[in-house]
Amino acid sequence: MGFLAPWFLAGLAAIGLPVWLHLLKQHKTTPLPFSSLMFFERRVQSSIKHRRLKYLLLFALRTALFALLAFAFARPFVNSTTVASAGGGKLFVMAVDNSFSMRQGDRLDRAKSAAAASLSSLRPEDRGLILALGSQAHLMGEPSGDVSVLRGEIRAIQPSDDHSSYAELAHALKSLSQSARMPVEAHLFSDMQKSSLPPSFVDLELGQGIAFIPHPMASQTLANFAVESVTAPRRLYDPKTVRVQATVIASGGATGRRRVSLWLNGHELASKPLDVPADGRATAEFIGLEAPYGMNRGEVRIDSADAFAPDDHYYFSIERSDPRPVLFIHAARDGRDLLFYRTAIESSRDAAFHLEAASPDQAASLPLSRYAFVVLSDVLEVPANLEQALRSYVRAGGSLLVALGPSSAARKRVPVVDLAIRDSGSTSRDAGHFEIVATLDAAHPSTHVPGNWAGVKVYRSVRVEPGTARVLAKLSDEMPLLIEQLVGDGRALVFTSTFDNVANDFPVHAGFVPFVDETAHYLARLDDRSANLTVGSYLDLRTGREPSGSAIEVFDPHGSRAMTLAESTRAQNIQLTEEGFYEVRRPNSHNDLVAVNPDRRESDFDVIPPETLALWQNTGQASRAQQARGTEQERKPLDFWWYVMIVVLALAVAESLVGNQHLAVDKEAA
Amino acid sequence: MQRFLDPATLAGLSGLDLVAKTVVDGFVSGLHRSPDFGFSQEFAEYRAYTPGDDLRHVDWNVFARTDRCYLKRYRGETNTQLLILLDTSASMSFGSARVNKLDYARFVSASLCYLAHEQRDAVGLIVFDEDVVNYVAPSTRQGQLFRLLHAIEKAETGTRTDFTKPFAHFQSFLKRRGMVVVLSDFYEQPQTIVKTIEPLRFRGNDVVLFHVLDPQEIAPSLREPALLIDVETKDSIEVSPDYVRHEYRRKVDAHIAELQTRARAAGLDYFLMNTGRPLDEGLREYLAVRQGRM
Repeated sequence: MGFLAPWFLAGLAAIGLPVWLHLLKQHKTTPLPFSSLMFFERRVQSSIKHRRLKYLLLFALRTALFALLAFAFARPFVNSTTVASAGGGKLFVMAVDNSFSMRQGDRLDRAKSAAAASLSSLRPEDRGLILALGSQAHLMGEPSGDVSVLRGEIRAIQPSDDHSSYAELAHALKSLSQSARMPVEAHLFSDMQKSSLPPSFVDLELGQGIAFIPHPMASQTLANFAVESVTAPRRLYDPKTVRVQATVIASGGATGRRRVSLWLNGHELASKPLDVPADGRATAEFIGLEAPYGMNRGEVRIDSADAFAPDDHYYFSIERSDPRPVLFIHAARDGRDLLFYRTAIESSRDAAFHLEAASPDQAASLPLSRYAFVVLSDVLEVPANLEQALRSYVRAGGSLLVALGPSSAARKRVPVVDLAIRDSGSTSRDAGHFEIVATLDAAHPSTHVPGNWAGVKVYRSVRVEPGTARVLAKLSDEMPLLIEQLVGDGRALVFTSTFDNVANDFPVHAGFVPFVDETAHYLARLDDRSANLTVGSYLDLRTGREPSGSAIEVFDPHGSRAMTLAESTRAQNIQLTEEGFYEVRRPNSHNDLVAVNPDRRESDFDVIPPETLALWQNTGQASRAQQARGTEQERKPLDFWWYVMIVVLALAVAESLVGNQHLAVDKEAA
Repeated sequence: MQRFLDPATLAGLSGLDLVAKTVVDGFVSGLHRSPDFGFSQEFAEYRAYTPGDDLRHVDWNVFARTDRCYLKRYRGETNTQLLILLDTSASMSFGSARVNKLDYARFVSASLCYLAHEQRDAVGLIVFDEDVVNYVAPSTRQGQLFRLLHAIEKAETGTRTDFTKPFAHFQSFLKRRGMVVVLSDFYEQPQTIVKTIEPLRFRGNDVVLFHVLDPQEIAPSLREPALLIDVETKDSIEVSPDYVRHEYRRKVDAHIAELQTRARAAGLDYFLMNTGRPLDEGLREYLAVRQGRM
């Protein structure tokens, strides 16, 4: 027996209270003169003894109450010994690894056959449970003693593209052991990949009462080539400049020259040889990708000619589209702000935007809805019809970037956004006085890289009252430099200085281009999440722009709907369980094509050393020797504090009754 | 007036004579007029002669006419002799309130003396514990009342272990028929008590047993176990409230009931005097017995 919280045993000191009350603070009998004792008999002593006995009973009850209370809080447990002999049943857990690596050769078939053969050792009192092991342990059915049912469940195990996790198996076995309340004998039929081990061996611990018997389906490592990864932009605007990089990995001693080919929509576009070092990596780069407009299914293949072909290709998704137009509205008097901003946005990572400049009067007649976002750069007079059009555009979900300069300082408020302008904090650039960027909101895409703002000197800024708007950047004088205001469904950013390298020197800093790029992607609502995911990962379905309750349809690599209609209206994400392309169709035509590839750790066929397996086995209590004897004793900690608390409750009731009786005597005597 | 008969109130009075006067006067003023109360020479009745009667009271005219002896009685001639036996054993010193049993018994004795003296009855007193401590012969002489009150005043608690011992001598003090009042707590077996007192009844005396008990002796209350010490024997015993509440009360009630039964069976009048109650109940009992003798 032991205690889970032994410090609570200090509460035993509370026993001193009844000891003091009953024994130390003992009642002293006061002698009383009485006329005659002829009506008192010596047998009266028995009454006194009886009463003392009551006192002792009360004392014992109180002492036991305190002792058991401390005992219960200390969480006592006993190691219950379960004897699983010929008369006691066991739970046989057959875990069959159906991960991606088990597609090699006939490993999965051999594993299933071995598992089915092991069922013959099931005795009538035993129960069997079949698990399919991937990144999670999937129960194939309920525990059953019917061997034919269990064999059917084993046959139902299909190969998957998942990555096996032995830590998940250990966790599942522990849970089963606790819930089954009978000895567990677990059999694992797997290729025993070293890459499936968790980083910490502690995660493999099986716990008491679990006998673990591994059945390796592979005894030695396997030479293998695999396409480990493909790096390609999610969107393609200029086919000539796009780069696609493919990394090929060799494991198990494989080495040699491999031919790498780039495929798009089922057509080979290019190929090149690649020398892959032994147990190393090599990267092949393809420049230029003539992809048609829209979603494209890309693939990189190698002619590995090794024993495991399923990992000789890698899928990727790429979308071909034109650069999106951005309207830059500025006063025609000075073109420096246009120059700097155009240079920055056209130098960004994937040239996703092209800039169109217009004066306020010209902009008033343009259809704003065709622009990804609009920049309003230090405009003195914004025509009413333009402001109204901008306001409508933003409210409908458009985006606006407002830069405030000397022309804006004369205004009372920021156009469209309606934030109040207090005054203009101006300093002559020659005087050498400037403010620096002191505070940045790291959670916002425009300001999440502090290095972009390092060394930026702001000589002139317009003081804007942010009100309830979100301040993304503040100057050292606590004045806001960048503010975000949500207007309707749209986004509006207010930069309280200019882009002309006069009011500040930000345009000539290296951080200006990333700032413009990140801000443009944010304002244009371009989804920068990767379209290439791993089997077993989850895909977020909702981007926040869909109407509430709208159905989002997902088609799996076979072209079937991955969700029911009800699920498609509620689901926030979906787990990608198969290799291939998943197509996501949203109501606002923001469709996605997601490429899913197996975890490339499955391509490493290095097996777990026998000594490591033996170590893993020993984390379970029952040993093979015990198995051989046919009789095993398993010790489980049985926490019985709850039963102690019930006794405490009963004692409390008894104490109340006895104590009440005692008090009742005194009352009557009074 | 009732408050003057309260033992606690009487205990505040300075002397027994005043106590007795207060009790009796208060008691008498509360009574209805009694035809047996008075000292006139008015004819009351004829009574048949019995040996021992004074021949001077024989109506010779009636004898001449009827040849039978009758005594002619007048109201003024209903006097009798009262002998008070006051127990001063140590147990009589017990009292749970201001007045202990002996004080109460003294008040009653004094009141009886005063009342009897006012009725021209001859009153005597025997104070006893283990033996006869004091004796005042019955008399109607001048100063008798003060002698009695003085003797009662001087009565102090002594010791006693044997109830029967002093009663062996009492026969010699009874020279004339009358009333005998015994004031005691009677801590003895009822059979023994009655057997001891019964001989006093043989010579035509009316014997009244005034059983003086403290309320705490009748129904004691204990909050917690106590060590009780016998004031006479100095024995001690530890008792529990539970025993006192049940067993003791049952025994005391049985003792009182048996004593009462045996006393009545032996022709003795029995009256339980609770020292927590007024004294007039005892006087009323005395008068009732005295009336029965007329």
